[in-house]
Amino acid sequence: MSNTYRFEIYPNDSQLNNISASESSTKKWLKDYMGLTITNLWEIRFFLIESRNKIINIHEKVEEVLTDNVTECLLSSESENLLDVHSWLQKKGFKNPFLIERYFRPGVTDNSAHATHDALKLIPDLKNEDFTVSSGLMYFIEGIDLTHELIVNLAYEKFANLLLHRIDITRPEQLYLNNRFVSINLPKVQMTSSPVELINFNQNDDELLKMNSKNCWALSLSELHQIKDYFNSFKRDPTDVEVEILAQTWSEHCKHKIFAAGINYSEEKLPQGVKALGSFKVDGLFKTFIRGSTLKIKEDRKLPWLISIFHDNAGIVRFDDKLDICIKVETHNSPSALDPYGGALTGILGVNRDIYGVGLGAKPIANTNVFCLAESKYFKSHNLALPLLLKNPDRIKEGVHLGVQDGGNKSGIPTVNGAFVFDRDFVGKPLVFCGTIGVIPQIENNDVTCNKGQKVGDYIVMAGGRIGKDGIHGATFSSMELLDGVPASVVQIGDPITQKRLGDFLIEARIKGLFTSVTDNGAGGLSSSVGEMAQITGGAEIDLEKALVKYPGLSPYELMISESQERMTFSVNPHFVEEFLSLAKSRHVEASIIGSFTNSSKLIVRFEQKIVAELSLNFLHEALLPMKLSAHFDMSKKSTHWINKKIQKLVLPKGDYKKILFDLFMSSNIKSQEHLIRRYDHEVQGATIVKPFTGSKEVGFNAPSDAGVVWMKPHGGGEKNALAIACGIAPKISEYDSYLMAEYALDEAVRNAVSTGANPDEMVLVDNFCWPDPLPSERNPDAHLKLAHLVRASKAIHDLSLAYRMPFVSGKDSMKNDFIGAMDNGEQVKISVPPTLLITAMGRIPNLNMITTSEIKNTDSLVYLIGDDLKASTSAFELALLYDDYKIERPLQYINGKKQLDLYRSLHKSMREGLVESSHDISDGGLLIALAESMMGTMLGLDLSLDNIKDLKENQLNGLFFNEGTGRFVVTVNKLNQKEFEENLSGHIFTMLGKTDISGDLKISFQDKVILNVHGKDCLAHYRIEAKEMDRC
Amino acid sequence: MLKRSEIKVLVLTGDGINCEQETALAFKELGVDAQIIHIEDLIIKKELLKSAHILALPGGFSFGDEIGSGQILALKLKYSLGNEINEFIESKKLIIGICNGFQALVRMGLLPKPFENRVLTLTHNDQGHFINRWVDLEVPDSVCAWTTDLKGEKLILPIRHGEGRIVFKGNQVEQENCYHNLCEQRQVAMTYADNVNGSYQNIAGLCDPSGLIFGLMQHPEAAISMWQYPSGKDKSYEKGLGILIFESGLKYCENNL
Repeated sequence: MSNTYRFEIYPNDSQLNNISASESSTKKWLKDYMGLTITNLWEIRFFLIESRNKIINIHEKVEEVLTDNVTECLLSSESENLLDVHSWLQKKGFKNPFLIERYFRPGVTDNSAHATHDALKLIPDLKNEDFTVSSGLMYFIEGIDLTHELIVNLAYEKFANLLLHRIDITRPEQLYLNNRFVSINLPKVQMTSSPVELINFNQNDDELLKMNSKNCWALSLSELHQIKDYFNSFKRDPTDVEVEILAQTWSEHCKHKIFAAGINYSEEKLPQGVKALGSFKVDGLFKTFIRGSTLKIKEDRKLPWLISIFHDNAGIVRFDDKLDICIKVETHNSPSALDPYGGALTGILGVNRDIYGVGLGAKPIANTNVFCLAESKYFKSHNLALPLLLKNPDRIKEGVHLGVQDGGNKSGIPTVNGAFVFDRDFVGKPLVFCGTIGVIPQIENNDVTCNKGQKVGDYIVMAGGRIGKDGIHGATFSSMELLDGVPASVVQIGDPITQKRLGDFLIEARIKGLFTSVTDNGAGGLSSSVGEMAQITGGAEIDLEKALVKYPGLSPYELMISESQERMTFSVNPHFVEEFLSLAKSRHVEASIIGSFTNSSKLIVRFEQKIVAELSLNFLHEALLPMKLSAHFDMSKKSTHWINKKIQKLVLPKGDYKKILFDLFMSSNIKSQEHLIRRYDHEVQGATIVKPFTGSKEVGFNAPSDAGVVWMKPHGGGEKNALAIACGIAPKISEYDSYLMAEYALDEAVRNAVSTGANPDEMVLVDNFCWPDPLPSERNPDAHLKLAHLVRASKAIHDLSLAYRMPFVSGKDSMKNDFIGAMDNGEQVKISVPPTLLITAMGRIPNLNMITTSEIKNTDSLVYLIGDDLKASTSAFELALLYDDYKIERPLQYINGKKQLDLYRSLHKSMREGLVESSHDISDGGLLIALAESMMGTMLGLDLSLDNIKDLKENQLNGLFFNEGTGRFVVTVNKLNQKEFEENLSGHIFTMLGKTDISGDLKISFQDKVILNVHGKDCLAHYRIEAKEMDRC
Repeated sequence: MLKRSEIKVLVLTGDGINCEQETALAFKELGVDAQIIHIEDLIIKKELLKSAHILALPGGFSFGDEIGSGQILALKLKYSLGNEINEFIESKKLIIGICNGFQALVRMGLLPKPFENRVLTLTHNDQGHFINRWVDLEVPDSVCAWTTDLKGEKLILPIRHGEGRIVFKGNQVEQENCYHNLCEQRQVAMTYADNVNGSYQNIAGLCDPSGLIFGLMQHPEAAISMWQYPSGKDKSYEKGLGILIFESGLKYCENNL
């Protein structure tokens, strides 16, 4: 191909003087984060086209496709007067701008270019032309004291990611040459496939380990020995394809080796008030504590609604008369650290595919997302340097947020629930949790839909995206610490439109009964998807050259393990394969037959007719021996923190509860993130009943909800049936005890769901562990303690789920959330995330009338604190984060699970009977925050007295107001219902605090003295300290 | 005169459209046969447009919103179904475009006036990003057949878009003229009570001079039941006001087709 063209899209004359919001916010960003004064900035999109033949009148054709003639005009390499751009620059006030151009690197997913290619192909004259497209962005920029070097820095800091983009900079004096229109180069992948190699495993341990790290296999020495022995028994060397398949299949990511390990747990020197567990041996944390408790609950409760748990891509429950409901939550931490946008985008699209890949393929109906991040202002205000090569945490926040936004919105899946959690220790690795709920009819084509039905002789069909070099070694990479200089191939950008088409096609093909089974291609690529599906029939054969590729030059092992996105693997009965492929074609979904399922007990892989891998399924899936690990809990040995400087916090304004309340409202974990959350579509599909924010038409919808509620009717389910989806997470408590942290997380999720009206007896849980590396190594001296935290947290959710009688239906773990790098003085630094557990709860609301939202609805209603008043403990975790002179004191408040469940049932009974007007859970920040939040939606007032709290002393007010615990709510009840409501709660702790009124004030009296009087508007203003930016327009 | 049960609605899907289910549900709740049809299937069975009375372009992110919202969908419809859609319009049948569907109608040149040069576009919100919130709306007096049951009402509906700002072509005077023209022809069918995205004179929905082609950025299909409303106090098994848009369209069919 030799004809190249360049197209740049400019605003037309009438729009020339507008400054876009993104230009203004970029200027502000560069000022805030880099101290640069940018006087002028102009962002312009460009496209490059390369075609086999010269295309006549290409300018006009591209103009029709790429520009909006109301507001835009096109400048191209075909334009007669390229100097136009300089007059436009002058009109915009530029004098001597630099030009930054951002191109994609070869092979990186370029969604704009794909769309443009498709769009150009719609023009009849271009239908038969052979051409490729690439897109890019350019920025004209000028400012005070900008040098070439500064421009390079800011380009990579704000506009580009070194792993994905190439930057070209034109100096002001060269701009007039317009060289970019002359030398036009589209990014091209140029590689040659390397032939299959035999790998000599008969070497000493040192050599084996060297090979292991050079090839990113992430295998342990004993696993390397197992491979060596296996192939020695056949008297041959393994091929690179075989070792790669084994490395992927045996990766921590795919096999969860730490959760399967045998662990000896011991503890010593436990301070008083920390729960003692004693010493014990556990034969697999997952088997014992998670599946163990669930199987017991299933048996004890004889649950008919647990349809499929733990073994498929997602858990399936029957919380509807017509539909089955699936749920899965995943993490995408390491990719998000390298490329926040792409990492989060592929994270959300990836968990959507888990839903598409469960049973015979479910339809995603809701997403959740939780971010654990750091904030740049923390490091700035305390004058703390970050390690080299770490991204600015605010840029990570922007990136992951945009990734989830694009992934959910463009797929038409509402984001109904989530959380933002901030801690300085998430600066090395952000945690990005993405969850999806899906639905599938219980019966379709006279068959149950929850089982996979591949048969011997079915074709293996890969559909969706093509295979590229992207995402190679993702599974093994995520099982390694984040080190400088990782290969760029692990980073990839998602392609929502390709996936949307694939998902729509999948549902259509399922309804028509065109395939027998499906799974997604996630970690490990084909090696995992085919390898897993082959277990049901007992074998599979693939011909790798039949897989569709993005570009030539991929080696067989790369084809096998690439994690290129948006792909599903189907099994298709030969009888239906023609119809399957033709439906795919008409839906613009690429699909190819790459092999078939057998019963040979082997996975056989061929490339161009030659066998390149032949592995026994038994060896592949069953040979892995559990690790033996030891965990030791000794809190007296504090590991050193990477920040060794004393951090100056605020001083507690004792007795000034208003000040403390406002400080809390503005603190990282409590302040509103509405400006970000409202960029997610939370009600597409028309079924989101309780949305992230609530309130009233008159006041606005700015008060936080406890859970997302999704109605089943629009999805073909029960007219009156709904699901509540809620989450719980409390990493701030790990430093006190990870057992307590896990209890808090689990209870918070359950409590949020119950608060919204879900039935505690129809509720399931999903666990997601994100841990610092718990495996011992030279670089990881305190691994025993981290593993002990893991044991304690697992034991906690075991114990509490048993007490709550709530089964786990799915879960995932991510075990290497550490960053290892260097400071600018060369000093090595390691940043580990705090042990973090996310629990997602999904509960059934059997009648919409039970739905209860958090805002106060009427005046003259009674206000109750449900649960312990906690006046005597010292457990205000948020105060401990804010103030220097506030310290958490033991004993820690562990949960009495049985009693707690009873309370939840009693409260639910009242909701069922329509006695509860509003209910808001008491969480971060404690009682006062919850009271204020429940007023902010409607701006009604609360007139409260503390006289009903028994033996309350003045020095306990701080505890009463700010202590955090579990199982607590603020609810309002019509006074006509007082008797019935209180009867329902008899035997439980609850306190009537007062009444609602019209005032809009939160007024609290103690011993006839008003000790707090604050207006809801003032609370809201502090709560929305950052969110208020969305109000400007 | 058509009976309600005889009214045929085609709801378009495919290529990233994603509100087809709830849009079809809104029609079905009112007792009509709404068929969700993939664009590719409609291209093959063009005759379906002949027997249909209403064509609905639902919301979504067609083609991932790349290049410009609705732009590629508009090109696809123009080049593959252009003649049939023109015929559909000429036979006085109804078209509704919601959000991304509105954007596509504008990009196809069907709004504000079919078969004439484009005078307006829907472009990036002043905020520069996507936004999901419920907004106050007013329904001015207009020729729109889709708002007859709502005239003079004040209501709230959700917006969920990044490119919903109406901009007219040309300099300030030309822009004002365009706007006055629309007002004179009574084509402004819905307006935001407040400035929510920078749209010209707070325009939220427009129809063509016949009143039969209607485009709106807000989502009435997400407000057909009071359960979908954002305030806890409003929630009930009652119908939401959004359904009146679909009801108005159906009444037109009953009385005129």
